[in-house]
Amino acid sequence: MDIFTKGLWIITVSWFIISMKRDKNRTLKSMKKSKNMMGNMLGQIIGILFLIGLILTLIPPEMIKEYLGSSNTLIATIVSALIGTITLIPAFVAFPLIGSIVDMGASIVPSVAFLTTLTMVGIVTFNLESREFGRRFAIARNGISFVFAILIALAMGVIL
Amino acid sequence: MMKRLRKNGFLAFVVIAYIGLFIINKEKAILSIKNSGYYIKEMLTVMPLVFLLTALIDTWIPQETIMDYLGDGSGVKGSFISIFLGSISAGPIYAAFPVCKTLLRKGASIFNIVVILSSWAVIKIPMLANEARFLSPKFMAIRWVFTTIGIIIMGYMVSKVVKRDDIPIEEEAIEHGKILIKEEYCIGCGICAKIAPGYFEIENNRAIAIDENIHGGVDDDVDKAEEKCPTRAIAISK
Repeated sequence: MDIFTKGLWIITVSWFIISMKRDKNRTLKSMKKSKNMMGNMLGQIIGILFLIGLILTLIPPEMIKEYLGSSNTLIATIVSALIGTITLIPAFVAFPLIGSIVDMGASIVPSVAFLTTLTMVGIVTFNLESREFGRRFAIARNGISFVFAILIALAMGVIL
Repeated sequence: MMKRLRKNGFLAFVVIAYIGLFIINKEKAILSIKNSGYYIKEMLTVMPLVFLLTALIDTWIPQETIMDYLGDGSGVKGSFISIFLGSISAGPIYAAFPVCKTLLRKGASIFNIVVILSSWAVIKIPMLANEARFLSPKFMAIRWVFTTIGIIIMGYMVSKVVKRDDIPIEEEAIEHGKILIKEEYCIGCGICAKIAPGYFEIENNRAIAIDENIHGGVDDDVDKAEEKCPTRAIAISK
């Protein structure tokens, strides 16, 4: 657990204790509501977690590295952005990976596209998102985010 | 059975994929489960937190406050708060879904929800520290600036395409033939009491139904009040 997660835990648990003391009934009522909402999502989330494991086996980080560092920047950027949308790897794996590719002298544009789509655009979470926020929302948000990931990457390529 | 399967169709799909992989290549299937381990641990550290947090937001932060800080008229202040909320968050993007749904239900705008979701995903502070370490502080800073600008534009674009009605928000079950006023949504504006004074009145800054039962039929006034309620706090089951 990083320090922020720990901090949030401490704040939330203290808040929860105060909440229970001040109005137990209302707190419990809201918890029941939360439970219903999250209960609906749980099956999906478990599915997502195991799907990520499966995808990581099929597209291992070494393979991602190969794509990110390939010589044709435009194709590499689009492919990297696509790989980013289907994988969900933690930041502590992603950053060293990207760091080593950039050190090797590869263009940073594909790497940035990958970093952005990695967390912001999600094929594996798409189903859950469209169920909770509506198909229109999920398509719009993921689609626009994908385009922006590439735009941000290109802008960084110009500056750095 | 079918309904259940459809509800969990995605999970069923993943299970089938695993069974298939087990048959074709056992080693890879086991590797996949091992790969999932990290994510499961991550979920277990974050989801109970999210569960408590959504319940606490629901209990203690009034509708008015959320509408004021994150609602349609919150402007620049709303964007700042949204980026801040996303940046101090924990966990992957799916952990943001319950929190955002709760905020949305309580009156946050679609623009701000997109900003929170996106910044929750990409600009978390612990992640920025990592990025500065493995790439460079300059790389991190420039990416942060571009991403933040991008997120604001994205929020604006999504809010132009998606309207509130496009988003499914579970209605609380109401009994047949009753008028229900969801207290947690009502802001006591009094519009309903003005449109349908025979049915609604304001007491202690909250609307109440004078008679909860609609006795077979309602006047057009009541439908109009339901429609005009700015927070959609009125539900009528005919």
